[in-house]
This record gives sequence, structure tokens and C-alpha cells, in this order.
Amino acid sequence: MVQGTITVNNKSGLHLRPASELAKIAGKLRSEITIVAGEKRVNPKSVLILMSAGITKGTTIDIICEGETEEADLKVMMDAIASGLGEGE
Amino acid sequence: MREWKVPKTASRGYAIAPLFVVKHVEVTASERKISQEEIDSEIARFEAAVAKAQDELLELAAQNEIFAGHYALAGDIAIYDGVTGKVKNDLVNAELALMQTRDEYVAVFESMEDEYMRERAADMKDVSKRLLYALKGIEDNAFAAMKEKSIIAAKDLAPSDTAKMNMELVAGFITEEGGVTSHVSIIAKNLGIPCLVGAGPMLSDVKTGETAVLDTDKGVLYVDPDEALVKEYEVKIEELRRRDEEMERLSSLPCETQDGHAFSICANVGNVVDIKNALKYNIDGVGLFRSEFLYMENDHFPTEEEQFAAYKEAAELMAGKELTIRTLDIGGDKGLDYYEFPKEENPFLGYRAIRMCLDQTDMFKTQLRALLRASAFGYIRIMYPMMISVEELQAANALLEECKAELRAEGTSFDEKIQVGIMVETPAAVMMADEFAELVDFFSIGTNDLTQYVLAVDRGNQKISERYNSFHPAVLRAIAHTIAAAHRHGAKAGMCGEFAGDEKASALLMGMGLDEFSMSANSTPVVKYQLRGASYEEMQKLAGEVLKQSTVAGVMALLEK
Repeated sequence: MVQGTITVNNKSGLHLRPASELAKIAGKLRSEITIVAGEKRVNPKSVLILMSAGITKGTTIDIICEGETEEADLKVMMDAIASGLGEGE
Repeated sequence: MREWKVPKTASRGYAIAPLFVVKHVEVTASERKISQEEIDSEIARFEAAVAKAQDELLELAAQNEIFAGHYALAGDIAIYDGVTGKVKNDLVNAELALMQTRDEYVAVFESMEDEYMRERAADMKDVSKRLLYALKGIEDNAFAAMKEKSIIAAKDLAPSDTAKMNMELVAGFITEEGGVTSHVSIIAKNLGIPCLVGAGPMLSDVKTGETAVLDTDKGVLYVDPDEALVKEYEVKIEELRRRDEEMERLSSLPCETQDGHAFSICANVGNVVDIKNALKYNIDGVGLFRSEFLYMENDHFPTEEEQFAAYKEAAELMAGKELTIRTLDIGGDKGLDYYEFPKEENPFLGYRAIRMCLDQTDMFKTQLRALLRASAFGYIRIMYPMMISVEELQAANALLEECKAELRAEGTSFDEKIQVGIMVETPAAVMMADEFAELVDFFSIGTNDLTQYVLAVDRGNQKISERYNSFHPAVLRAIAHTIAAAHRHGAKAGMCGEFAGDEKASALLMGMGLDEFSMSANSTPVVKYQLRGASYEEMQKLAGEVLKQSTVAGVMALLEK
């Protein structure tokens, strides 16, 4: 199991479009992935569940990946969020 | 005549037209228990419905990217797991399982604090409806019956509704639900269709075909109005249309007052897309190009090549018109993902803008070299932010000269006569305006920060927000002093704060002698219209009177006359 911490910085947080983008990326990865935001633990492969976590700009989240490709998958997730998910500042 | 007061205006304008009332026929899920043997076929039916809905959405996504989000939702694993789980465990049909899953998530969204997120419940409902229709094999288009130009009254309008409308037949919108960021609000604003939202229950009291008047200024819908009211609004619509035409005509006319005094109208932009939009307004130039975006959109300090490419593209788009680029203005409330700013008690008085650039000279020189190289491709002016002392200006210019010398040695061309100016946004810069003016080609007054620093009022603090006022006589005198100092030394005086686009301020600023007004592009026509309609001599007199005032009330009394 590997874990990374990152702050969500795209301007509208994980709203519909950035959440769709992230879910699309997560959906292609083989690891079991969990995003931890405060007390919420959510599966980023679902847009709905991602959005219902209400992750706003500036929220610090943990990403946990588990599986054979966990290292690479964690990096993909971290890079995707750092890139602003298609909407920069 | 009946009327409804509606507090939320999503898009401005007036409309007189018959109502077209959208009655949403609730397609109800036919609830049915299924047997163990039917589980697989029920799931297969749901999968087929998802495929059909996604086919439709993919097509719609080409016109409106909201549907790209809906496409993702329709295929979402949480919906899939919810529906298939209920089919398997509760032995219910796919329709019922879908409605139950929908209700669960709608409840989650509706309980969220963020208004944007609450409104996403509408996306969930819209997608579920599409899936339900696909399950039941129903095609629906409520708007096929709309034959004449109408004001659409609905509970709320989802993207899948507006996608089916013939927008040429839409005179206005009014919805019972929704806020100013809801889908219909955005569509209406983009298309310039008057729109009121959040009207509350009203659909059962109005009928399709009844004449209505929509007034978004007052926030009122009149149904079955009397003749006098219709006449009144016909006149208003005509006036608005004339004003729009006048604006359109105006954009090609020169920027000069009635008595022939020239001024220039520029736009503030944050990136290349903004420039393209601003150029539609026939602006004289860009008075403020915020270079921060290059730094904020990146995951590293942008390289010289990356910056050069962006500035060059911007300069070429401007095709010889002025492009004033402000060097990096970061810190304060603006951070970077890849650079940790020190924690500070007073970030607005801290390590930011030119202070950071003069400390990290390698980073600053990278930007200056990129700006100089791009200056070979257009009319670029360099502007330093947050100046407080002549020493800072000298230090920045010394670095600029170093960069020029390097480029000359490398044989790289740049504009040898490149103009340099400063933002005047600190009381120190105002007090030293004469000395600064001798050393620069132009000033640009940044009224947002200047107001906060002159008045010592934090512009983000709600509790004292009414004290933040650029019409405070102290701020106005600082502006007048700065403009006069610029002119004493042959420098140009511009303004790139919000104040430059304030309809109440423009005549006053012109009267003070301001040369260049730079503001968000969509404010430019109004300011140009006002200044063209006034005489410079009159505006000078007005400025003289205003500058004698000792209170905001005194100032406003003169400006609102």
C-alpha cells in the first residue's frame, strides 16, 4: 500500500467536470484507490461519489493505492490532481 | 394583471411575449418485483439503457460540454452498482432501482453546503430521467409544440431541456427553482436572453399563451398585463435596442470627448483567451496583462522559452496595438503550488510582487529576457507592480539593462525603445510620483490595492467592507496627484483597477486628465459611450469640484447629479 498527500488546487474544487476527468483517469488504473478527505473515504473511480465528498479548492487529501501497480498508479493520480484536471487557476 | 416578484436575476433585459409553460410530466417508474430468473435480463436492460443514454450524450457533448459531465455520470460505477445491487438483492425492476439510487444521491447533493454542489442534484435528476426514458423507450420533446417567440416558464431547465429548444424562439426564461449559477442562467447569459430564476411556485397559476412581460431590472414577471404596461415596455425594449446599436456603432468611432480631447480605452486580461475576447470590443490596447497565469497554471517556474512563446503569441494577436505586461505579481493572496511562500502575519504587506522579484533575480531575469525577446514581435510595454521606492525602480531597471546587454551580445533582437512603467498602488508611490515620473514612460494606477493601502482597509474583510470605497476623497486626491505628477514630467497616466470601469467614476477620472482607461473588456463600451457623450471642459470642472469635497457623501452628490 502506498499513500500520497496533495492539496486540490483547481479553481472550483472537485466539481462535475474535474471530477469526471479524475474518475476517468482513476477508472483506467488497476489499483484499489481510496481518497481520504477529512473523515470521508471515497472511491475516485466514481464521479458521483467523488462529488459527494464535497472536496473544495484548498482541501488537502490523501490518496491510497493498493495493488501490483500501486507506485505507478499513485503517481498518475497525484500528477492528474496537480495538473488542475483540465482547469487551471 | 398578475405579477410575481423574483429576487434573482440571471441575465438582463426585457421581454414581452406569450408564456410557454413547461409542465413536466413525471414519468414514473413502474414498480415491479422480479423473480430470481429475471435478474440477468433486468441488468442487461439497464446496461442497454446506459449505452443508449451515453450515445445521445456523446452527440450532445459536441455542442455543450455540460453533457460530457452527464456522459460520465450516466456510466458512473456508483449508479451502476446502486442499480444492479438493488436488482439483485431487493428483486426490484431496473426502473425502481434507478429511482431509488437517484433519490439517495439527490439527497446527498441537496444537503451540501456549497450552492454549486446543491445545484448538481439537478444533473443527477437529469441523467436519471434520461436513463429512465431510455429504459422505457420513450422519446420526449416538450418544446416541439413551441411555435412562436415565447417566454419559457418552467420548474427548472436542465441541459437536456435547453438542448432541445429552438433558441431563436426564446424571448425570456423564468424558473421556479435554480440559482444564478444554474444551467439555464449560464445559457441565458451566454445568449443574452433575459432570465429570472428562483421565482417560487407559480406554474399552476399561469397558462401557455397568456401574454407576459419580463423585467429583469425590477425582477418582476407581469402576466396578462394591461395595454399601458405593454406600451411602456415596448418603449424600454426599443431604447435598449438603440443603446446596443449605439454601442456597436461606437466601437468603430474614435475615443474622443465631444470637444475633441482624446483618451484611450484598453482591456485588462489574464491570458491569451482573454485577449481574443477583448479584441472583439475594438479596444485601443491591453493596459494590464497579468503574467501570473503563466506561473499559476504551471507546476514549475515557467522557463524563458515557455514565457517567450506566450508573450509573443499575445503581442502578435495585438497586431501592433499596445500590450502592457505586468511582471510577476504574486504573494499576498496569490500562491503557487510549487513554491512555498513564508508564512506571514501580513501577507499584503509582505514578501510579494517586485519585492520577491528583486530578491530572486534569476527568476526575474528569466521573465525580463522573455519579455524583451517578445518585444520584437509587437508593441510591448513592461510594468513593475507594487513599487514603493526609486531604489526598487533603479534595481529593476538595472536588471533589465543587464538582460538587454546579454541579448545584444547574443545577437537577439528586441525593441530597443521598449517603454517601462510602474503600477502606482502604494501611498509611497503616490508621494514620490514626481520622482518616479521622471524615470518612467507611464504610470498605471492600481486602484484596488491603492484604495486598501491609502485607507488601511483590508478589501477582503466583510466586516469593514463598507469602509473600502475608492470614492473616498483621500483616494481621489491620491489619484489626481499621481496623474498631475505624470503629466508634469511627460509621462502617460493610465488606470487598470476596477475603478477605471466604474460608470460613476469615468467622467471624474477623465476630468482629472487620465489618459488611458483599462478595465475588463465587457465594461469598455459603456465607458467609451459616456466619455464620448461628455465635454472635457465640463469634466474638468466636475473634477475640480469633486476634489474640494471632504466626504464621500459630498463626492457622490456631485457625481450622481
